[in-house]
Amino acid sequence: MKFHSSSYLVKEGLKNIWNNRMMSLASIVVLVSCLIITGAAILISVNVTSLISGIGDDNQVNVFLDYEMSDIDAIKLGTEIKKIDNVDDCEYYSKDDAIKEYKTKLGNLYDSMQGDENPLGNVYKVRLKDLSDYKHTISEIKRIDGVMSVSDRGDIARTLTKLNYFVSIVGFWIVIILGVVTLFIISNTIKMTMYSRRFEISIMKSVGATNTFVRIPFIIEAMAIGLIAGLISSVALIAIYNPIRDNASKMIALIGTSTIPLSDIWGNILLGFSGAGILIGALGGFISITKYLKKEGGEILGW
Amino acid sequence: MIHLKNVSKVYSNGTEALKNVSLDIEQGEFVFIVGSSGAGKSTFLKLLIHEEKATFGKVTVNGYDLMKIKNRKVPYLRRTMGIVFQDFRLIEKMNVYDNIAFAMRAIGAPEKSIKKRVKYVIAVVGLEGKERCRPSELSGGEQQRVSLARALVNNPEMIIADEPTGNIDPKMSFEIMKRLVDINKKGTTVIIVTHEHDLVRAFGGRVITINGGEIIEDKIIPAEFDTTENSESEYTDILAAVDSQNTGQAEETTVSDHRKEEDE
Repeated sequence: MKFHSSSYLVKEGLKNIWNNRMMSLASIVVLVSCLIITGAAILISVNVTSLISGIGDDNQVNVFLDYEMSDIDAIKLGTEIKKIDNVDDCEYYSKDDAIKEYKTKLGNLYDSMQGDENPLGNVYKVRLKDLSDYKHTISEIKRIDGVMSVSDRGDIARTLTKLNYFVSIVGFWIVIILGVVTLFIISNTIKMTMYSRRFEISIMKSVGATNTFVRIPFIIEAMAIGLIAGLISSVALIAIYNPIRDNASKMIALIGTSTIPLSDIWGNILLGFSGAGILIGALGGFISITKYLKKEGGEILGW
Repeated sequence: MIHLKNVSKVYSNGTEALKNVSLDIEQGEFVFIVGSSGAGKSTFLKLLIHEEKATFGKVTVNGYDLMKIKNRKVPYLRRTMGIVFQDFRLIEKMNVYDNIAFAMRAIGAPEKSIKKRVKYVIAVVGLEGKERCRPSELSGGEQQRVSLARALVNNPEMIIADEPTGNIDPKMSFEIMKRLVDINKKGTTVIIVTHEHDLVRAFGGRVITINGGEIIEDKIIPAEFDTTENSESEYTDILAAVDSQNTGQAEETTVSDHRKEEDE
């Protein structure tokens, strides 16, 4: 396609949006809603996946020792732990260190607590080499005399995996259903445009315009509508992401991992949504115009 | 140029619109296709522009075998012909210039050639000064001239005019017909589909009569009216006379009588 034709076709496509502004606006609004819902589902899924992998990456377990254990026994127990093949490193963390940390964290709140006794136990922070052997290693540690308990993050990981599975399934269907809805909306808009321009299409065909030439302005129109909707929805998602993330992080911080920061994903959201909008637009436009182009002469005009 | 051999067209509802039609039209001919409504004229036209495909037979137009033509080649077939419609088919939101230029833009012509060529065809159809007018600001005849200019703008080998004077008064019909004759004199084949026998008699040429889907007559008749010698008003007088004769209102004047009177 020559440059002068391309610029003419692009101009025609963009002019169509203005000529059918009410329909274009309605399509953009509906598309934005669909894309925001779809985007929210994707972002939730991505964050949950990130949380799970965060837990997986955090290959450290806390081994709680018996309250009555002396420091010497604790050191001996440490050497026992180190002997286990899958243990990479283990660090002693006494109950005095733990209470000091709490004191710093809680501040004035700590001062209001009553009693002098330290309720916390001595802990070994054990780093594992291979997480796939997690269960076996934990059971070996548990067998060592003097070990009271081992913090088991497997439960949290399992719960989150279930949640992720659920979010993925729901997200998948949301993407599919809303994808079909958006395609339907965009192809209807294009059908409306084509109907309003049926006269021009019939003339174009009668003077020998190729189907590609007739098709391009409509596809440009659909892609532009998709792009506008994609940009609006990505900006909206970027705007609401941080407030939602901040609130979610307050709860998620309890398990020591965090969600994905906006700075890591805003570019992806913008690119992804704009791209999705353009793609849906192109596809919707292509489907509707291809069906229409099979008509000839009077059929186009409905005579 | 146009070759039809044993062509039949049967529509899906069983209507047999053309029955075993064979004809040849060569480059530079001036041809009328006449017949009453439902005779098969429109189907014949649709076959030529490949809006419909013949059920049987062989159709060749401007070197394209229309029984075997691929869909992607159809636009190139249509670029070899210019079509003038009875209802003009002008785009109201576009002015005269853009309506004509539209046909060139639709085939991807560069803007520079569009400017040059549109200016030329506007002069050919005598619409200088009307370039910025919208179709609704023009008379029926002028609108048909815009339609003719659009058909001409891509320099086709053949002009197909479907009832070109059907929606305009006799005065304007003369203008359109005169232009078509002039175009034909420059070598372009002109095919006019019409049911107006007076028009055919006045301008003459090859006349193919279709009735009931069959060609019942194919002959050349001489023109009763000479566009180079006679004026538009004389033409309308002739038409009026022919009209009154046809409606049985007294006067015995025929086109040839009228010419005799003129000679005297």
